[in-house]
Amino acid sequence: MIQKTLTLRNQRGLHARAASKLVQCASAFQSQVWLTRQGRRVNAQSIMGVLLLAAPSGSELLMEVDGPDEEQAIAALVELVDNRFGEDQ
Amino acid sequence: MSLAFSGIGVSRGIAVGRVHRLTAGQPSVAEYHLEPGDIEQELERLDSAVDRGDRFLTELMARSEGEGGDTARELLEAHRLILRDPMLLDGAREAVSEQRINAEWALARQREQLIDEFRKIDDEYIALRQEDLDQVVKLILRELAEQPGSLLTAKTPHRLNEVIIVAGELGPAEMAVLHQRRVGGLVTEHGGPMSHAAILARSLEIPMVVGVHRAVSLLREDETLILDGHYGSLICSHSEPLQRHYEDKREVIQRRRADLGRYISRPSRTADGQGFQLYGNAELPQEFERCREVRVAGIGLMRTEYLFLDGTIPDEETQFRAYRAALKQMDGRPVTVRTLDAGGDKLPPAMALSEGPNPALGLRGLRLSLAMPDSFRDQINAILRASVQGPIEILLPMITSLNEVRQARALIEDCRLTLRRQGLAIDPDIPIGGMIETPAAALSLDALAAELDFLSIGTNDLVQYTLAVDRQDELVSYLHDPAHPAVLRLLAEIVEQGQRHQRPVTVCGELAGDERAARLLLGLGVRRFSLPPSALPAVKKSLIEADSRRCRELVETWRSQSSDADSQRLLADLMRD
Repeated sequence: MIQKTLTLRNQRGLHARAASKLVQCASAFQSQVWLTRQGRRVNAQSIMGVLLLAAPSGSELLMEVDGPDEEQAIAALVELVDNRFGEDQ
Repeated sequence: MSLAFSGIGVSRGIAVGRVHRLTAGQPSVAEYHLEPGDIEQELERLDSAVDRGDRFLTELMARSEGEGGDTARELLEAHRLILRDPMLLDGAREAVSEQRINAEWALARQREQLIDEFRKIDDEYIALRQEDLDQVVKLILRELAEQPGSLLTAKTPHRLNEVIIVAGELGPAEMAVLHQRRVGGLVTEHGGPMSHAAILARSLEIPMVVGVHRAVSLLREDETLILDGHYGSLICSHSEPLQRHYEDKREVIQRRRADLGRYISRPSRTADGQGFQLYGNAELPQEFERCREVRVAGIGLMRTEYLFLDGTIPDEETQFRAYRAALKQMDGRPVTVRTLDAGGDKLPPAMALSEGPNPALGLRGLRLSLAMPDSFRDQINAILRASVQGPIEILLPMITSLNEVRQARALIEDCRLTLRRQGLAIDPDIPIGGMIETPAAALSLDALAAELDFLSIGTNDLVQYTLAVDRQDELVSYLHDPAHPAVLRLLAEIVEQGQRHQRPVTVCGELAGDERAARLLLGLGVRRFSLPPSALPAVKKSLIEADSRRCRELVETWRSQSSDADSQRLLADLMRD
């Protein structure tokens, strides 16, 4: 299992569009992906779970990835978050 | 003063209970509990509804492409994510398997829970998602409704033993749920004695009256109703003594049933020492259970339409599991599986395309299977694979020509060889028989017998096709006379041809389940009967007490008379000892 703490740098945090991208990215891997914010831990392959984190810009998230392709998965997810979900800002 | 209505009594017995009306209309969330054995099927129903919903969304996305529909695509993509969301689906699946509730109910509950969670979040962007969730849940519910869940709504009481259900008509899905909830009695506006619901009601011993015009609007919710399934009468606004009279009658019937039960363990031999065999007709798991209880020699007719009735064509695996379960339940006794007999009154929604101008004379039975070789192969493969579990036989419905039988045999052989190449050794001698239910088949047995290992007489259709009477049409169903001289001639012909070609002949229509008609068949030389388990005790008693030589004489004499002889008198004479 790999753990990593991430900070959301995009303008609106995990709003609908960003959450969708995150879930799509997480669902592309076999590994289980979990996100924790302020004590709430959700399945990152669940759109509703990710939205329920209600994470605004600047939030810190703990990401846990566990599975056969965990290294590729965390790399892809970190890249997505670091690139501000491809948003212009 | 009491008020009476009349219809056609299709399943004997008395029911006294409160009216509950089922009305079609706006899609309602059906809520009901599942039997432990039905959980697997319900989960599959949910999964397949989600799959179809996903396909629907994917098609919409493909269509919105090139129309500058980026926003639409994004929304649809979000809906697809919700559709596959583990928080929604895993929760619903868990509720189905652990709380044993139907998929619609489980989904509605899961939606409530998720919405509660979302309400706690104070963010306008996120609040918007509730609408999306609702749309997705509606999509799944719509797909679930495609596979008829049931008309039973949240308002339907959970204990139904003192309840009489009144509906326009009832499908097999409703019947399964109603039986499970021990309904007292059934009334429908449409349908005849041979409709699917009526056959199931008899088999499950639920008193039923059909063809009661405008019953849903004439009967009031919750009023007490007396139903007599023998005479087809309904009485409401009655006096207390009348109600007591019927309650006593109901008890007498129950006691008679218990008395007949004593014949179940007696040897199957007529008064003059002729042996006979009683097989069961079964389709629903509950019916196989009843067949075991009445100690059938095997299953003479396993219908498979039920598997197809949820609107989709079941895949090979689903069918394989159903046939294997049947063989397991029968524990070494043979099971005769009839391949899909769809068409006419039994057309599953998935095959609605095959409904021609006259379904009874159209693409149905074996014709339909041969026209859809891929799904026919799925069914044959499932049967062949299940054969490892126990003795199984294949029965081909609705035959009219030798060519059809040859085609079917070739396809079955091809399936067997393919399975063998895949390493699965299937007995090459699995018996393949035919339903003799058209005059064409009955009169071509010289040729057909060479290609059929056994013959099963489907009296319902044979009567319908011989007399040109639509058994579903309440305006002419009074003409449906199984003892019509023309029918008897055909029956005698089939039995004689079977003996000549040494092919076992089983009668498996409703006729075999009638205690008087069973003696008539005995007189014609029939020794194998396949009947609904509910009818077995009475028929067994009738045959045990019959003198087969006297039955033969009566039938012979009657056949030599002019063709307008009174068949009811023959049936009455046969019952005289």
